[in-house]
Amino acid sequence: MTTACHLLDLDGAQRPFVETLVSRARQFKAGVPNQGLRLRGRIVVGMFFEPSTRTATSYAVAAQRLGAVWLDFRSEESSLRKGESLEDTMRTLRAIGADAVVVRHREAGFPHLLARHFPGSVHNAGDGAHAHPTQGLADALTLVEEFGDLTGRRVLIVGDIAHSRVARSSAKAAHLLGADVVLCGPPLLLPSQPAWGFAACTSDLEAALPGADAVIMLRLQIERGTHGELPPADDVARAYGLTLQRSQAMAPHAILMHPGPVNRGLELAPELVAAERSRIAHQVENGVYVRMAALERTLGHADREHAA
Amino acid sequence: MKAGNHNLEPNCDLVGGRVVDPSLKLDAIRTVVIRRGRIAALLDRAPAESDAACERVDCAGMVLCPGFIDPHVHLREPGDSHKETIASGLAAAAAGGFTAVAAMPNTRPALDTPERVTAFLRDARAAGGVRCYAIGAVTQGRNGCQLAPLLGMASAGAVAFSDDGATTTSLRALYNAARYAAAIPQAFLSHCHDPSFDDAVMHEGEVSDRLGLPGAPALAEAAVAAREVLVARATRKRWHICHVSTAMTVDVLRWARSIGVDVSAEVTPHHLLCTDEALEGFAAGMRVNPPLRPATDRDALKRAVAEGTITIFASDHAPHARHEKEGPVSCACPGFSGLETAVGATFAALPDVPLTAMVANFSAHPARLLGVPGGSLAPGAPADITGLFLNRPWVVDPSAFRSRGKVTPFAGWTFTVQPALTVVGGHVLMYAGAPHSRGVANTVRGMP
Repeated sequence: MTTACHLLDLDGAQRPFVETLVSRARQFKAGVPNQGLRLRGRIVVGMFFEPSTRTATSYAVAAQRLGAVWLDFRSEESSLRKGESLEDTMRTLRAIGADAVVVRHREAGFPHLLARHFPGSVHNAGDGAHAHPTQGLADALTLVEEFGDLTGRRVLIVGDIAHSRVARSSAKAAHLLGADVVLCGPPLLLPSQPAWGFAACTSDLEAALPGADAVIMLRLQIERGTHGELPPADDVARAYGLTLQRSQAMAPHAILMHPGPVNRGLELAPELVAAERSRIAHQVENGVYVRMAALERTLGHADREHAA
Repeated sequence: MKAGNHNLEPNCDLVGGRVVDPSLKLDAIRTVVIRRGRIAALLDRAPAESDAACERVDCAGMVLCPGFIDPHVHLREPGDSHKETIASGLAAAAAGGFTAVAAMPNTRPALDTPERVTAFLRDARAAGGVRCYAIGAVTQGRNGCQLAPLLGMASAGAVAFSDDGATTTSLRALYNAARYAAAIPQAFLSHCHDPSFDDAVMHEGEVSDRLGLPGAPALAEAAVAAREVLVARATRKRWHICHVSTAMTVDVLRWARSIGVDVSAEVTPHHLLCTDEALEGFAAGMRVNPPLRPATDRDALKRAVAEGTITIFASDHAPHARHEKEGPVSCACPGFSGLETAVGATFAALPDVPLTAMVANFSAHPARLLGVPGGSLAPGAPADITGLFLNRPWVVDPSAFRSRGKVTPFAGWTFTVQPALTVVGGHVLMYAGAPHSRGVANTVRGMP
């Protein structure tokens, strides 16, 4: 659900939405005059109930580059699990002047719940295994920078797809821009088919690698298992990790991506992290620009709705 | 019916209704003559005039059936009277056309001793109106492993045993319970859900994949159902599978029948009408156990009723306070308020099932499961009667529920079949028909 003033996921998003944000992010990357005035005086509150350094920092930088003030909100998670106190908290945040809330939570759908109780803008910075829309947009921007038009390009996402919010958002963003998305992992870690209504699935990494224009490797989300019923991470890595040898099978022009943080030697050989075909650093950098674009857009809409 | 004569065994004549009683193979206009709380006669002509001491209830346009019995409700007392009380739950039952309900033991504390069963039944009698039976827990505190005093609870009046809300985890405890209770008629009612999937908040499938919510597959239900069939076979105990929700469980039931195991099964209206798509947008209120399944399962359940594999309807009335049905999906309490929509919804789901089968699934079959009176309007039987309007469209308005639980997947839905009359032991508890009929006003008795 993505209404104009929130960025909750890309589930119902249309192509123009992704195109607009990606192209605005490219403008920010090229330099927009007076960008520090775009959101001057606005207050963006980060609510990270799961540890995050990369996304939180990236959002903070994005907010501050646009002139907004970034605040970290600390709360006992337990006090926010109940619906009523959650409403109170959101009312409080609004009363002290918060314009946007950037939330990460281990429960899928938590940002959607906040959005029902907060009249400003809510950004999902990761909800359980559900969505991480700005990572999806950052990956889309990275792909567009590389290939321009994504029509007919093949994006291969490898690893623990079932428990990955990044996989859902990156796959959807690439799909909306015209790419063919293929998901690869052991059947246990793949979604039921047709995956999310648009992606293809395979469990044969060797066969899938040569045809890919971009390979996105994912971290194993073992911590999401609750009963220890998931396979050991190193066993999955042996079968689905990208070793130097396996990477030889990639097309010469193909790029390598990873949303981070990388478990070196597990899903990705250490030598590949900074290899020539790696775009991992681009993804991180692009994350800031898409977050700028997203904050500008959603807060702009929030303005108009409040004025109306 | 005047206040004060409530404890007397009443006399009345139900006039002009179409009596549908599968046990009598009867489908005809009859006057139901009730004397001293029991069926005295079914007359094919209306008496010229009922005698003065006898009420005359106009049932023209109604179908009159043996009283509907809901074998699976949660009345929340003791322990959670903010969700429901015995009185509000029984009022909901009367409003929904039910003449009897069987209450599951997952109260706080659980109904797991003879004393608690006795106290519960005493409270239920005090609430009055609809008949209320108690189901005793299989294990102490429903902990899944230590046997509860089954024989004492049976003596205290428990009509069946169940750890509903959860599966009896220990196979050995369940096996021993069935052997311990082998000499008494009480059946075991199993909630089938493998506990290793306890973090699931919905069905595992395409929708949960998209939402990133933890799900339980059909297997988590069907595998336990298969275990129960084998326990029933090993112990020759009468068994019942609660709220079947998957095609795979239906297959288990067919297999049980094919090997001669006496296992009955029930289905709820929400599993017959709704799918897991109701959870779209993280609709926490639509959480229920067992979870709503995809359309393929829903359609398999309808076929299972049509072919007679599932022979009992149950509401799984599971009321919660509004705030308990909100918030993150993982925090929302599972279950819906169901008594006041069950009849309309179940008929809506199964338009092609013959009326006689619908009536038997609501009356004779649950009566047989629980070993309680009912299911027949033969002279001498208690005068428990459910009246229906078969074609009176009505819109579900949860704010009008007698139940304290207002959350239902059917809010705003239109159903065609409407409960019209609830008579228990000759007392008219609900009369919702024919506003212009003479003599109606004094037959209407609102529940406290």
